[in-house]
Formats: sequence, structure tokens, C-alpha cells
Amino acid sequence: MPPLLLVAAAEAASCVPMRLNDLGHLLQVMGTFLGLSLFSLGGGNTLLAEYHHLSVVEYCWLRPSQFADLYALAEAAPGPSSMIVGLLGMGAGWPEGPGWALLSAYGAEIAILLPSTLLMVVACLSWNRLRESPWRVAFERGLGPITLGILFAVGVKILQTADTNAPGVVVSLLVCVLMLRTRISPLWFMAVAGGLGAFGLINR
Amino acid sequence: MTDPPAPAATAAPPGLGQLFTGMLMVALSAFGGGLSAWSQRIIVEQRRWMSNEEFLTGLTVARLFPGPNQINMAVYVGTFFRGLPGALAALAGMLLVPFTLLMGIGLLYFQFHSLPALDRVLAGVVAAAAGMALSMGFKILDEYRKDPVALLLAAVTFVLMTFFHVRLVPLVLVAGPLAMAWYWPRRSQPGPPAGEPR
Repeated sequence: MPPLLLVAAAEAASCVPMRLNDLGHLLQVMGTFLGLSLFSLGGGNTLLAEYHHLSVVEYCWLRPSQFADLYALAEAAPGPSSMIVGLLGMGAGWPEGPGWALLSAYGAEIAILLPSTLLMVVACLSWNRLRESPWRVAFERGLGPITLGILFAVGVKILQTADTNAPGVVVSLLVCVLMLRTRISPLWFMAVAGGLGAFGLINR
Repeated sequence: MTDPPAPAATAAPPGLGQLFTGMLMVALSAFGGGLSAWSQRIIVEQRRWMSNEEFLTGLTVARLFPGPNQINMAVYVGTFFRGLPGALAALAGMLLVPFTLLMGIGLLYFQFHSLPALDRVLAGVVAAAAGMALSMGFKILDEYRKDPVALLLAAVTFVLMTFFHVRLVPLVLVAGPLAMAWYWPRRSQPGPPAGEPR
């Protein structure tokens, strides 16, 4: 058994969901995402590793394979891929039934967007003063490299969570190269890889 | 709300309803990708709400501040004309259709994901999605090629997260200020220190 699998199995086994009533669950979901909103640097993808940690390891909303599935669905669906937060919220609320799952999904999405939206409104209204400020220059140039490091860490984390067999990893690396070298829509990659999965060439 | 000093080419500033429908159009047009190109086409070229320069400023602000870029862009357009209510109207227009669709997909997923056939297809899709995630860092790597300090910062960040399992929030709170101090603009500005925001 490859070490990645062992890690995933250990995570799944050690994760005991907190006992909360349905409203408590909803508040937990919303509080979690409210607190993370202002840390979504570089367009929000920097938060994916943290989403994984919270929803799979800490709160046990999802199994690792489910997290990977939801990431793929959010990437495939039209619209901003950061809407994955809605799907995570839905996973958190699913044990309480579809109605709560939907409520939890909307709650999660509103929670992750609200603080960054408010900050963005303030930023737009004061942009003329901010533009020349040394704070802005330092923020932009200083946080850029950190964002770069986080994005690489996120890529590795998602690859670990996908946890496919060797052909699957080859497909992942190939898609990575094609994403960088061509302008082919990623939907094609997902469709082809989905076909390979259906025929059993890629499995997990 | 005062009108921005608009050049003659721009149309009247949109109301809340127009902001909502405008962003709805952007979101619908962008099914399949190219969201920021579509928002430029609709907001600048078709509806003439903004000049191209104002739009590009919006992209800069949207990328700089936390939050998803495209969503921040909607917030910028809304705020530009109608402040906070405008931001919320634009945001609702941008998200209404894609989010509703995603919720449908999510409900189907949680209902049926244990079906073996679906799980097998998803295993393949997940492999492709992992490749997309892996490409995100490489996409912006070029900007930092000539800056060894930036590469070192990125490498340390990567190692801390991947091998030492340092969490995002403490990492950003410690490394962020250090990096900002290093990159603080050195050349002293002429004149007295102007009133800084905050």
C-alpha cells in the first residue's frame, strides 16, 4: 500500500465528528468560513488546503475522496470555482437532510464572501488614496511570493487527496503540463479522464 | 451618489436592477470560461458603463484584495456606481445562476456518489482536476523568476505547509508582515509623509 493511502486511511479513521445539533452545525460552518474569508489571497485558491484540513481532518464533514470529488465538480461547473465552499457546506449539512444541507451551503458561501466583499467595498471607495500608499506596494509585492508557495502546496495537497493509481498520477501530470502549454479548455481534460475512469484505467 | 467624471462615450450610471441584470448577463455569457473577458465586453463595450481604464483599475484592485477575483470584480463594478447596495446587487447577479446550478449538482452528487459507475468516472475526473490544481503555482512562477528572495519565500512557505503542516492563517500572519517589511518601498518619497490609510 503506498504511503499516501495509509495517510488517507489514518485521517479517515481518526476523524470523529463533533456532536452538534443541526443549528450548532450551521453556526460552526458559518463561523469557520467567516474567519477564513480575509485570508483568500491570490483569488481564493490559496484556501483549498485549509478547506481540506477543516472539512476532512478537523470536522469530518467529508471523506478525503469526497473532498477530491467536490473540488473536481467545482472546477467543472460554470462560474467561479471558489463556489466549492457551497459544496463543502452542503457536505457538512448532508447528515441532517437535504434541506439543512442547502441551508448550510448558502450559509457557507455567504460566510466566505461577506468579509472579503465588505473589505473590497472599502478598498474601492478609498482606492485613490490607497494606490500610492507604501502599504499597498509592500502588500502586493510581499504577499505575492507567499501566495506562490501556498499555491504549490495546494497543488500537492490536492494531488495527494486525489490518491489515484499510477496511470491517474500520469494523467494529472500530463494535464498540468497541458494547462501550462496549451489553451485547451480544461473541460476536455476532465471529460477524457472521466472516460478513462469509466473504463477502469484510472481508479483509486 | 455623485456621477464619476465620465467621458462623453460612457452611458448613464446603472441602477441596482441594471447592475443585477448586467452581471447576470456576464455570468451567463461566461459559461465555459473567459469570465473576465466577457465582463469587459459587456460592461465596457456593450453597456458603456465604464471606460476601459476604469475597468482595468478594477481588475488590479480585485486581484490585490482577498476574495475570488471574478467575484471581487463584480463587487468593484457595483461599488463604483452604487456603493455597498450596488456591490450586493452585482454579486447576486453574478452568482445566482452558477450557484443554483452548482447546488443542483451537489445534491445529485451527495445522493448518488456511492454508485460504483459514478465513482469510477469521478476517479478519472479527479485525476484531471488534480493536474489543474498542480498547474496553479507554475502559472505565476514566471513573474518571480528574477527575484531570488521571492523564490526563497515561496520555497519556505511551500515546505512549511507541505512537510511541517503549518496552517494557513498563522503562516500568513507571520510570513506576511516579514515579507512586507522586506518589500517596503525603499526610495524615500519627496515631501512629508502624507496621511496614510489606517
